[in-house]
Amino acid sequence: MGVYSRPVMFAILSAVVILVGTMVTMFVPLMLPSTQPVSEYVKPYTAVELEGRDIYIREGCNNCHTQTVRPLVTEVARYGEYSKPEEFAYDRPFLWGSRRTGPDLNRVGGKYPDSWHYQHLYDPRSMFAKSNMPAYGWLARRPLDTSYTFKKVSVLGYGYGEDEVRKQIDDYRSKVTSPDYLAKTVRDRITPPELRGQLTEMDALVAYLQKLGRDVKRLARGSHTGGVAEASGLVRNPYEGDKKAIEEGKGLFKKYCAVCHGEDASGEIGPNLRDSKWKYGGTDADIYQSISKGRPGGMPNWDVKLGKERIWKIVSFIRSIGEK
Amino acid sequence: MEERGYEYNVVKGFAYSALFWLIIGLLVGLWIAAEMFLPQLNLTPWLAFGRLRVVHTNGLAFGFTLAAIFSCTYYILQRLTRTPLALPKLARFHLWLFNAAIALAALSLFAGMNTSKEYAELEWPLDLVVVVMWVIFAINVFATLIKRRERQMYISLWYIIAMTVTVAVLYIVNNLEVPVNLFKSYSAYAGANDANVQWWYGHNAVGFVFTVPILAMFYYFLPKSTNLPIYSHRLSIIAFWSLIFGYLWTGAHHLMLTPLPEWIQTVAIAFSIFLIAPSWGSVINGYYTMRGNWDQMRTNYLVKFFIFGITFYGLQTIQGPTQGLRTLTAFFHYTDWVVGHVHMGTMGWVTMIISASFYYMIPRIMKRELYSIKMANLHFWLILVGQLLYTVTLWIAGIQQGAMWKATNPDGSLTYSFLEVVAAMYPYWKIRFLGGVVYFVGIVVFIYNLLMTVRSPLAEQPKPEPSKA
Amino acid sequence: MNWQSLAYLSFGTALVVLFLWIIVHFYRPKRKGHVEEPKYKMLDDDQDQL
Repeated sequence: MGVYSRPVMFAILSAVVILVGTMVTMFVPLMLPSTQPVSEYVKPYTAVELEGRDIYIREGCNNCHTQTVRPLVTEVARYGEYSKPEEFAYDRPFLWGSRRTGPDLNRVGGKYPDSWHYQHLYDPRSMFAKSNMPAYGWLARRPLDTSYTFKKVSVLGYGYGEDEVRKQIDDYRSKVTSPDYLAKTVRDRITPPELRGQLTEMDALVAYLQKLGRDVKRLARGSHTGGVAEASGLVRNPYEGDKKAIEEGKGLFKKYCAVCHGEDASGEIGPNLRDSKWKYGGTDADIYQSISKGRPGGMPNWDVKLGKERIWKIVSFIRSIGEK
Repeated sequence: MEERGYEYNVVKGFAYSALFWLIIGLLVGLWIAAEMFLPQLNLTPWLAFGRLRVVHTNGLAFGFTLAAIFSCTYYILQRLTRTPLALPKLARFHLWLFNAAIALAALSLFAGMNTSKEYAELEWPLDLVVVVMWVIFAINVFATLIKRRERQMYISLWYIIAMTVTVAVLYIVNNLEVPVNLFKSYSAYAGANDANVQWWYGHNAVGFVFTVPILAMFYYFLPKSTNLPIYSHRLSIIAFWSLIFGYLWTGAHHLMLTPLPEWIQTVAIAFSIFLIAPSWGSVINGYYTMRGNWDQMRTNYLVKFFIFGITFYGLQTIQGPTQGLRTLTAFFHYTDWVVGHVHMGTMGWVTMIISASFYYMIPRIMKRELYSIKMANLHFWLILVGQLLYTVTLWIAGIQQGAMWKATNPDGSLTYSFLEVVAAMYPYWKIRFLGGVVYFVGIVVFIYNLLMTVRSPLAEQPKPEPSKA
Repeated sequence: MNWQSLAYLSFGTALVVLFLWIIVHFYRPKRKGHVEEPKYKMLDDDQDQL
């Protein structure tokens, strides 16, 4: 009777039945340019960033880190602007991930200085005692293999010539091996002497992480988005001289700031906060602004993470330890 | 009979392969479960979580489950068609090719050669091997079906055909990639398209590896081991066609609230809700089969596995669509809740049905009595308790995790840093590991029981009847 | 009504009709004996080479 006694017909019928949903939800979107739009402001990866991305894939970083910020209030507060489809035009494969054992990384580029990443990849628990991330110090002990880089960018159609690929690699090597490189101290500490003059796998991975989300941030810089705790109009510190607030600020500093500025605030990855040198101004309002909105070169914005009150308490603590 | 008999060597071979890869996959699973709270265990690059998790998922989904599927398919196929396997030599080659592919897959994943697309991580040369292997399998399935001596195909055969066709389509389309060298390739699709193709594949890999062939086993081995006809053949006709029709629309429920076009997400979740109906069609068919004979839950040790297995399948197919709803996915996605969800399906439904199928099949083809029914009962309780401890712990963990990520202070700032949430998870991850250990012990009992069965003397009665009340 | 919503509507209707037809077809009482036959046959002791 019918298809139930005709195996080949049955197979053909099954194929037709499974192909309906496949066509509508998979094949049709693949043919629509609107599914994966391309925008001018999103640039392809450089040769070194691409090599870093391949290391990210090889080590399976996507098993613990996502790369999509969803349009939810607390998610935007934690990670930054939500992800846009055009950002992924050069992502083959995509790396959105499915599990956040570690935080989302779609907006990590430029959030911290390079030195932060070197130290963190080398020994995550030296910065965050409770972290369960594997240590990747061994990446700094392996030279970066660039023998397939040109072939890779050709396969991906990034449009770089062979000379350009060479130049990108050379330029990045000059940057990280220069005596002026801001992360030189950490990099030299974790890289064996014979590799300090070359690019390591760690260098490429840091380059890739620093690229994530930067095109979007560059676009957004013109029109500032504004968080919940704007400094404008609040020139006075509500906790000025308040002993209790300073004590609380000390605790908050230990928890959130000491990782980069040191337990005693005398500076490590971030600058010394005890001396009288202030790159962006040393009034309460200036310090508030630096914490709240962040500063270029690796100071993240803390406005939505900490809120006004906790930031002012930290300001009070920082003022209390400064050299008069 | 004069002609060549049923081919059971490859059935046995695939069963042994399944048990071997099960042990390997579970050991890796225990190791990465411990890494969650003991990061010092990331001793070498190839023992780091990022690489090992992939070995765990591939080892169990493909090494264990697929081998068990091949084993049971070759058995069911011959019995239901009343025809010996059409090409037994090809099937033996299939067995060797399969094990070589899985071994190479494990080694290459340990070495970090992976495409990053979940459950499709193998690099392109191994993809080619997998495709060849699947074609070999399909040839045998259809050649045997064409030669069959039983006119009408019973339910299990429909599911086997659907799996054979669909897995081929899924695997080939999602693994289209451009090679750079022997060990590295890039996906043919970019960004949102790659994500959409991947989860169309990823979800249907669950559908056509963890559901469809397992239902084929369920529909065959439950009636066989109870001697009760399945409740309704026509209900299963409707459930079958709606299941395989609906499944292919649902992949994007893994991509809710991502930059994928919203309409694809909405369609996916609508069909996910629809899928509850055919899934429960099978659950009801299972329950009603036992109508009036529920005493077999006590007297026939196999029934527990089938009934608990189909119950977990029923729970799984309600939990899945529910957690995909936009408001709930916003809360649950990316948390440990989802890990708990997956493991109810694999440790509850898939393994329970495969266990019972092996308990039915292996003594029969070996012409021996099962070594110990007591031990089979112990195995049942250990994997049940281990699985529940594992999944319930991770559901609670996921709720806390989601709540902490979302918690805000009155001024709108976030209450917890990411790290505080990680730190709060450690107790749960330890209990989860314990659940995994209990489960693993249950599996060791299972394998020991089967090994002792195989090594025991030939049964005195040539044909042991299914144990009945 | 533009062609898109028309296509959407007719596709949806066609699915529902097909679904109902399958149910009606297989649940027609006079077919029951035939449709349900394989579930009894599979229980028969198939010829085993024991």
